[in-house]
Amino acid sequence: MDDLIQEFLAETNESLNALDLDIVKLEQNPNDKDLIGRIFRLVHTIKGTCGFLGLPRLEKLAHHAENVLGRYRDGSLSVTPQSVTLILESFDRIKMLVAGLEAAGAEPAGDDADLIVRLDEVYEGRAAAVAPPLVEPSTKPPAPVVEADEFGFVPVPMDTDFVPTAVMSAPAATPVVADAPASPSMAVATPAAPKAAAAPEEASKSLRVSVEVLENLMTMVSELVLTRNQLLQIMRQQTESAFTAPLQRLNHVVSELQEGVMQTRMQPISNAWGKLPRIVRDITVEVGKKINLEMRGAETELDRQVLDYIKDPLTHMVRNSADHGIELPADRKMLGKPEEGTILLNAFHEGGHIIIEISDDGKGLDTERIRAKAVEKGVISEEQARALTEQQVQQMIFAAGFSTAEKVTAISGRGVGMDVVRNNIEKIGGTIEMRSVLGRGTTFTIKIPLTLAIVSALIIEVAGERYAVPQLSVRELVRLSNGSEARLEDIHGTPIMRLRDSLLPLVSLRKILKLGDEETEPTRPRQVIVAQVGAYQFGIIVDRVFDTEEIVVKPVSPILRNLRIFSGNTILGDGSVIMILDPNGIANTVGDVSSMAKAQAEIDHIQDSSARKTPLLVFRAGPGAPRAVPLSLVSRLEEIAVGKIERSGQRRVVQYRGKLMPLIPFSETMDLKNAGVQSVLVFSERDRVMGLMVDEIVDIVEEHIDVQLTADNSFGLLGSAIIHGQAMDVIDVGHFLSIAQADWFGGPAGLAPGADNGKSVLLVDDSPFFRNMLAPMLSAAGYTVRAVNDALEALQLAKTDTHFDVIISDIEMPGMNGFDFARAVRAKDSKWLKVPLVALSSHATAKDLERGREAGFDDYIAKFDREGLLRAVNRIGQLHSEVA
Amino acid sequence: MKTCLIVDDSRVVRKVARKIFEDLGFACSEAEDGDKAYIACMSDMPHVILLDWNMPVMNGIEFLRKLRASNGGDAPKVIFCTTENEITFIQEAMAAGADEYIMKPFDSHIVQGKLEQIEVL
Repeated sequence: MDDLIQEFLAETNESLNALDLDIVKLEQNPNDKDLIGRIFRLVHTIKGTCGFLGLPRLEKLAHHAENVLGRYRDGSLSVTPQSVTLILESFDRIKMLVAGLEAAGAEPAGDDADLIVRLDEVYEGRAAAVAPPLVEPSTKPPAPVVEADEFGFVPVPMDTDFVPTAVMSAPAATPVVADAPASPSMAVATPAAPKAAAAPEEASKSLRVSVEVLENLMTMVSELVLTRNQLLQIMRQQTESAFTAPLQRLNHVVSELQEGVMQTRMQPISNAWGKLPRIVRDITVEVGKKINLEMRGAETELDRQVLDYIKDPLTHMVRNSADHGIELPADRKMLGKPEEGTILLNAFHEGGHIIIEISDDGKGLDTERIRAKAVEKGVISEEQARALTEQQVQQMIFAAGFSTAEKVTAISGRGVGMDVVRNNIEKIGGTIEMRSVLGRGTTFTIKIPLTLAIVSALIIEVAGERYAVPQLSVRELVRLSNGSEARLEDIHGTPIMRLRDSLLPLVSLRKILKLGDEETEPTRPRQVIVAQVGAYQFGIIVDRVFDTEEIVVKPVSPILRNLRIFSGNTILGDGSVIMILDPNGIANTVGDVSSMAKAQAEIDHIQDSSARKTPLLVFRAGPGAPRAVPLSLVSRLEEIAVGKIERSGQRRVVQYRGKLMPLIPFSETMDLKNAGVQSVLVFSERDRVMGLMVDEIVDIVEEHIDVQLTADNSFGLLGSAIIHGQAMDVIDVGHFLSIAQADWFGGPAGLAPGADNGKSVLLVDDSPFFRNMLAPMLSAAGYTVRAVNDALEALQLAKTDTHFDVIISDIEMPGMNGFDFARAVRAKDSKWLKVPLVALSSHATAKDLERGREAGFDDYIAKFDREGLLRAVNRIGQLHSEVA
Repeated sequence: MKTCLIVDDSRVVRKVARKIFEDLGFACSEAEDGDKAYIACMSDMPHVILLDWNMPVMNGIEFLRKLRASNGGDAPKVIFCTTENEITFIQEAMAAGADEYIMKPFDSHIVQGKLEQIEVL
């Protein structure tokens, strides 16, 4: 957006906030020349500035409002409640225009003739400006707004500040003003704020105290608490002491003092709600909805700091409910609902937490649409989408970049989604849940801690140093030892832990803090803290775990602030100062969360394949039974418009992602379409890509593949398998890739090999399917591949002294299985004693892995994880050649 | 280099004006009300003053009268800014010692024309 517009928005918003209050005051003091002058000047400035920025709508409205104000100023018109209402209404409109400008970068379309006519009537002294019913001065109480002002002052215990709420519909906004004194300057006896006006004599009971003073007090109390804890700790070791009684008393006093000071930081949640009626009201005006915003539990108190964190998420959610949740009045009527929709905000305390519910009686979440959208965005496959439960689908709205709104409006859908809301809430240790019933409405439940100043933390030790981990992010503790169920494993160089049915990525605190290597004391049992950051779980390896303590969080000193793994420090009862770890920061330090997510994906992948079933893509091409190909070999499914397919000599090519992709028909006899779209399976092998043209993609099925019969390879078939009770040909992707590449590069038939790296690989697998899949891939990566179909054959090669740099072996083979093979390779007199061994397994249970390791495998890779295999082979080959 | 003092209570207007005047080769300073403008003039009298009339603390007319009455205050060329419904004030401003007036919104072209008229450019 234009720099000047930005400036204008900032300037105007400042002015407008000042203006609201001034106008209300004007009604009370119609003869206050200064006040009139100030209001006039602000409007005048807005008008003058609009001219420069090309904002004709705003300029015109400001001009007419200024006319009326001009007459007040020169005293030719007296101020009446009706005309004040009209002026307020004009300001509402100005605000709306400014908000629209802020959101869209341009003035909203439309005109303000209605208002201008009435302003002119007042200006010309013709009418008494009767407001239309919609904006009748409300008889309902306004929502009190209590907010720290720009000077950092926070009212203690409370102060009031009024959003002009002439049109607000918030009947249940229990005004906190009721038992709180209003400052005298605010005590304007508008009919809308009777309670505030009724209590001016109470004003002397409250003071404005700077936030800084409160923060200092809090710090001092924390120090006091810590000192008391120290004293108590000392006292525990002494049975008889003259200090016992006074210390007991000190203990109580300090506790009460701490509570009292904490109280000063507490503010009613209505502070975060204050602007909501206005926002909802703006939306109702903008999109023509009828919405009643009901607010319950506005007096519920929570820590100022927490309040700041939830303000934006709350605003966003209410905006969402109003904009997307509540239907238009006509639609509601058709559905038999009352025309006016209701958004209910409800806050209450529940065991050290505050619960905030935001519910609407709108249309609810359309899970079908979310499914469709998720598939469209490539978040999940169609198959997966069908398998998800309603609840799981609903949770998807918390995924990044997800919005189900069909159109982005000025009000919501500005790129900030529910993922941001969730992140903000989780950042302060809160949780958010959602329930939704289609056609009935949606309810969000937010649970957040009351304060962040004192938290429960787990004290842990690494390399003799103690640290605190906030209890909120600790899911569980796992003790690692030889006898324990959980084991440390290694996948592609990432340490992981198998815990019950899931694999967790691990980080070593020792390594992160550079306190030495994990391996220095390998025999010692270690502890793993299972931490949760957002939806993501990981384990932190530590040496010892002590107990949990209530700690006072002190900010990290500025010189350490750039270290994101610490969120603060604290003083323990024994007087030692320790750092508080930030699991979020740790997750980020360890190689951003995305790479952790990648590790997670690999883990998921392994877990998938351990289920023994292989997802297969079934398609039709040419006559005969459908064919199948392992889904993991297919990079993408594409529908390419026939018109886009170009011919280059005998070959067909298509422009695909900035490259030319060769297209190969499944068989030469197949009838290709002349129009419409062509279904294409895209295979990619490293940086090469090809498309296989097929007639129709039938389905994705999960099957245990058992390739029955090796067919003639030249037809591009590996063999047949029984899939869903039907025999299907399983195609050999390598065959088509080699055709594509040979055609493409004009080279000899067969795979175009990568640069020979002089290394050789022995591949032991009884399945022709895997041999055919892996051998070409490894040779493409530059390895000389020797593939054999059983372990005995491999061991024969050992006797002939054939050298290999890496041996890859299947585990389940007839005759000698992989484990026995590994033991034979690792036997003392074996020629291959030092050759790295990689297991290839479709079974990845903890037991299998452990057995593999015991037998002598260096690494294990899931079948179908071709990239993983290549990485492992490269890594191990590299290591090996460095050693040798 | 010629100097120009921009007096307006709106940051946006000052920003716009500054751009225009700087493009015309002026060194610019800003003041947000008449009082501050007067102080600025006393320490360093500019060649040209672009003056808004409606400002808090001390408005344009008051500033202009005070300036013209001060020592050396008759030197700067003063261009008075106004909007269309203040015609009566233009007369008042000219009487108070303004050299030229200009309507908001103005652009570079208009400012240049006015400056040529008062022979600053």
